[in-house]
Amino acid sequence: MVRTIIIVDDDPGVRYTVKAGIEALDEDYQIIPVENGMKCLELLENNQIPDLILLDVMMPEMTGWETYDRIKENEAWRKIPIVFLTARTDRIAKDAGDFLAEDYIEKPAKIPELKQRLDNILKKRLSYHS
Amino acid sequence: MKLNFSLSLKLTVMVVLVSAIVIFSLTYINIEEQAISLENVYSDKAVILSQALDTAIGDHDELTDKQKLQNYILNFSNLNPEILKVSINLPDEKELKVFVSTDMDSINISSGQYNNFSYENDAVVNIPIHSGNSHIITVITPINLSGQIYGTYEMLLSMNASYAAFDIRARNLVMISVISLFILIFSFLYILRKIIVKPVIVFRDAAKIIGEGNLDTKIKIKSQDELGELSNAFNHMTNDLKKSRNKIEEYNRILEDLLDRKDEFIGQLGHDLKNPLQPLVGLLPVIMEKEKDPKIKEHLNILIHNVEYMRDLIIKTLQLARLRSPDTKFDMENLNLMQEVENVLTSQKLFLNENNINAKSMIDKNISVEADKLRSVELFNNLITNAVKYTPEVGGDLTIDAKKGKDFVTISIKDTGIGMTEEQLSKVFDEFYKVDASRCEMDSSGLGLSICKRIVEKHGGRIWAESPGKGKGTTFYFTLKSANEKINKNV
Repeated sequence: MVRTIIIVDDDPGVRYTVKAGIEALDEDYQIIPVENGMKCLELLENNQIPDLILLDVMMPEMTGWETYDRIKENEAWRKIPIVFLTARTDRIAKDAGDFLAEDYIEKPAKIPELKQRLDNILKKRLSYHS
Repeated sequence: MKLNFSLSLKLTVMVVLVSAIVIFSLTYINIEEQAISLENVYSDKAVILSQALDTAIGDHDELTDKQKLQNYILNFSNLNPEILKVSINLPDEKELKVFVSTDMDSINISSGQYNNFSYENDAVVNIPIHSGNSHIITVITPINLSGQIYGTYEMLLSMNASYAAFDIRARNLVMISVISLFILIFSFLYILRKIIVKPVIVFRDAAKIIGEGNLDTKIKIKSQDELGELSNAFNHMTNDLKKSRNKIEEYNRILEDLLDRKDEFIGQLGHDLKNPLQPLVGLLPVIMEKEKDPKIKEHLNILIHNVEYMRDLIIKTLQLARLRSPDTKFDMENLNLMQEVENVLTSQKLFLNENNINAKSMIDKNISVEADKLRSVELFNNLITNAVKYTPEVGGDLTIDAKKGKDFVTISIKDTGIGMTEEQLSKVFDEFYKVDASRCEMDSSGLGLSICKRIVEKHGGRIWAESPGKGKGTTFYFTLKSANEKINKNV
């Protein structure tokens, strides 16, 4: 079963790392890289609903917070789990990770570890839905 | 107030002593002199009386007629009430014997004067005797016979009447002395207070105000003496101090500004370093998993370790910079220590098992501390990681305990690791210090304990390490504020 994940990050290195790393480890994953929140929302509007969204916080134009709020505002998208991937390790980011989003992963992250955590979240979702 | 009191007291004691000595010496000398002059007056009187007697006796041939002479001196002594006794002493062998006397009992006994006792022609001996209220003077005058000493007149005069008057005078004198002593003491004290104590108080108060940081204080003492000079020097000093303080404050502002900019710079740099590090940290383990060639795997391993080190260094440096920043606020809450430590140990279980560490908590379930939850978890994590890092691969024990003090709880984390020397113990919290560089040069920044120290200090506690020596394990201690039990119960 193919799992689709959208990675939203303005840094091409990060996008490439997540896509290449996870896809290399597990062929069942399909990673869609986008460079900002607007692009992510466009994808969702085109009915490309992923299994999970990996969201950077510090981005120009539209921050991770705003993107998060926009996704959660929409009835149809609300159930998509969102994981923050950020270099900001201060309290605000941590609180968000703990209470708002599904998880919070600190940059730079090891891909095997990152994948492990995504696996766990998706597994939980699946058992919840079935 | 204390200075004022003791300085005044010292001056008072000094003034009282000096004045008393001076006044009483003067009084004593005065009274003594008067007493001596009184005795001289009586002595002169006795001499005149003796001369009168001598003249009255006239022809010295009569000195042989004892009865006539006896009557003579009896009559003579009745003339003056002050005369207590008159004797005429004449030589007998070695000494002078009383020949005739108004005191019948003393006739023919020794006068106590020697025969060969040579008198000058007009020599007079006077012997005052004072006992109680009776003041008697004995005056001995020679009897000249054609240029030769023939015998002596001995006359006892009572000085009581004069002494009674003298006593009253002396008493008045002492009273006047005492009064002048008091006047002297008070005027001295007044003057000393005005010229010494008051300026000293002015200096003391000024020094106190300056000590509190008000360097605009000036002393106004205009007197043209050493105190005036001192006040000038004092004002100069204050002025110089003010200049130096202003300079220091200015440098301080510059330094604070630089520090802020440094922290900002480190923060920005650290943040910017994280993104380029992401591909390295992220992909190297993936490549490692896919790679089959053991030679390349070895190279990759070295790369991974170095990248890990860099990651640790960047994250910890950022943490330290953030902890150093005055804007960093801690969310203090009451935490049950046992619960927190259990959580930490659970989350670290895998890591502890991998390193064969048998960790246990002995913390009493009733101990609570006032701390920031996330930072204290970080604190425990860092200390546990550190303990594991310095325990040999065969494994060991890790014991966490807590002891409740008056205001603080002292938490200890004891390991059975490689231990530390005195020198290492003193440096262990320094930034970038590593106890055993060879053990962990690959993936440790040497900042973990600096972060611990900063977290504990930001909580208002203390952190230190103790070790019985090399190979005997280390115990880290830190203190956190004890939680207010009442609030704890309400929660």
